[in-house]
Amino acid sequence: MISVSHLTRTFGDFTALDDVSFEIAKGEVVGFLGPNGAGKTTTLRILAGYLPATSGTARVAGFDVLRDSIEVRRRIGYLPESVPLYREHRVIEMLEFQARLHGMSRADTRRRVGEVLQQVGLTDRSRDLVGHLSRGLRQRAGLAVALLPDPEVLILDEPTSGLDPLQRIEVRALVRELATKHTVILSSHILPEIEATCPRVVILHEGRLVADGTPDQLVRAHSEISHVRLEAVLGADAPNAAKFLRAIAGVREVVDRGRLGIHHQFDIVCDEDLREDVGALAAARKWALRELSWRRPTLEQLFSRIAIGGSAVTAAHPPGSSAGTADPATTAGTASVPLHVSLPLSSAAPQPGKSAPAKIVYNLNPFDQGATRHLGTPKAVEGQTPSAAEQRARESGGE
Amino acid sequence: MRGVFAIYRREMAGLFFGPLAWAVLALAFCLNGYLFVLYLKSQAGDVDVAVRLALGESWAFWMLLILVPPLLTMRMISEESRSGILEFLLTAPISDAAVVTGKFLAATSFMAILWASVFLYAAVTASLGVSVDPGVLIGGYTGAVLASALFTAVGLLASSLTNTPVLSAFAAVLANLAIVIAPLLSNLADDPVVRRAIRHIDVIDHHSNSFLLGVFDTAYALFFVAWTALVLFLTVRALETRRWA
Repeated sequence: MISVSHLTRTFGDFTALDDVSFEIAKGEVVGFLGPNGAGKTTTLRILAGYLPATSGTARVAGFDVLRDSIEVRRRIGYLPESVPLYREHRVIEMLEFQARLHGMSRADTRRRVGEVLQQVGLTDRSRDLVGHLSRGLRQRAGLAVALLPDPEVLILDEPTSGLDPLQRIEVRALVRELATKHTVILSSHILPEIEATCPRVVILHEGRLVADGTPDQLVRAHSEISHVRLEAVLGADAPNAAKFLRAIAGVREVVDRGRLGIHHQFDIVCDEDLREDVGALAAARKWALRELSWRRPTLEQLFSRIAIGGSAVTAAHPPGSSAGTADPATTAGTASVPLHVSLPLSSAAPQPGKSAPAKIVYNLNPFDQGATRHLGTPKAVEGQTPSAAEQRARESGGE
Repeated sequence: MRGVFAIYRREMAGLFFGPLAWAVLALAFCLNGYLFVLYLKSQAGDVDVAVRLALGESWAFWMLLILVPPLLTMRMISEESRSGILEFLLTAPISDAAVVTGKFLAATSFMAILWASVFLYAAVTASLGVSVDPGVLIGGYTGAVLASALFTAVGLLASSLTNTPVLSAFAAVLANLAIVIAPLLSNLADDPVVRRAIRHIDVIDHHSNSFLLGVFDTAYALFFVAWTALVLFLTVRALETRRWA
């Protein structure tokens, strides 16, 4: 559907896009990810036929975006970030204007206007002036305008920027719905956004394409393999624990990370989150759990690693894990870039079947207990606060 | 030129949805009406001369031509570029030329409406027993609209060159002023060749020596059409350079 090869675009001395190539098949939903100024908007503008490329070619549905610009534009629904709509017009007038620009017949127009208004949920606001709509509604109106000619390709530049979380969820749901009928390209610098909506991600950084694939693939290709970290007092099971763990279905490998005081530590390499299974095993064998966490590099970490240049944190890492056990990369990462606070992924790990006395959940979600809670300290549950000594140990372990 | 009509309709709506167009129309109608009465009085009731004055032989006419089109065109491209709507138009399946033409036709139509008040004056004088020479009336009106087209095109060009509407209006007024005044400077030139050359681009002369006499001369009409087309062409190019910048 879309094929881009060696696309380069310069603005004076500034290279906004540098030799970018990718292919997008019909029906794909692709998210363009990158920090501000990475070249996302430039790429989308070139595809939409707004900007010409300095060199390289881009084809949409077999048409060159420069030579057959009009044919390409006929097939594209493009919604720029600024959501350009005439403020003094009503939503329905904007739609009719778009229909005329696309040379749609009167009957077609009437049918499609009804359909897209329904689709974006603006049927009862169609007579409102665009200028009177809220940001979220205007976004939807813009989407309706882009959708009106039933384009094969939908290009959305930062469709959720400036929206509140609820509106974001709405737009996300809308995009997912559209994905069933159209080829959708959207850009964002918000990662969860992309992870939630796009099966395929293209990461741009400083004008270059640095990654292209499904979030899973990217995470796998660019980071160490995900694993469940187990730290427990094994007692008599110590010699056989690795064997027990290996017996769990789905485990690919068990790495014995050795003994730390009375605790043993294992990395159970697996593709899926096996915490429950490991937990159940621990409960059955009466191991006193100290840590059970699912460690998997998120797209976010991957992204920050690419963006910052390799110095980002590599894995979600609750600060409570014992000192000295953290692998060198993690330690270096936390020391140089204190990003771990923003990574709530594996921190709220449930600890099923646990028999150890200390019930502590590390929760780094800053919204969880209001903003006043000190994020570095573990949160005690069920009224049990960790003893002072324990807490000191944990804190020093986390830093 | 698909899409011209869509753009035209949208621009007409845009003009008349805002207060500016109405204010300009009201002021211009009042001014023209008042001046027409003055002309009639000063010409001892000669309606043909009064119409000629209203449609080109007075300074008031040229002042309106210099000032009004920039007011109409100043927002058409520069503001849309700023608000991002231009991006929407330039990614719609219509050519850049269609965008410019649609906008140009809208602004010119507005000017045509503005000058159309002379038909009302003619109707009034006719009802009072003195009818205007239809040649002078229609010729003068056509000439006025053609001249307006040129000035509108200049306004659009100015609008396409900057993102600041006020700046574009200012530039357009200056350019229009130059177009009107430059030929007057020909009197300063000694060289007869230069004089003749300048007279060939004299807008006032081309209007008053043909249309206002009730004569439709294609050469004179072509003068306006050609210049307007040239300026519009430059506008399309200017719009295109925005894609590259």
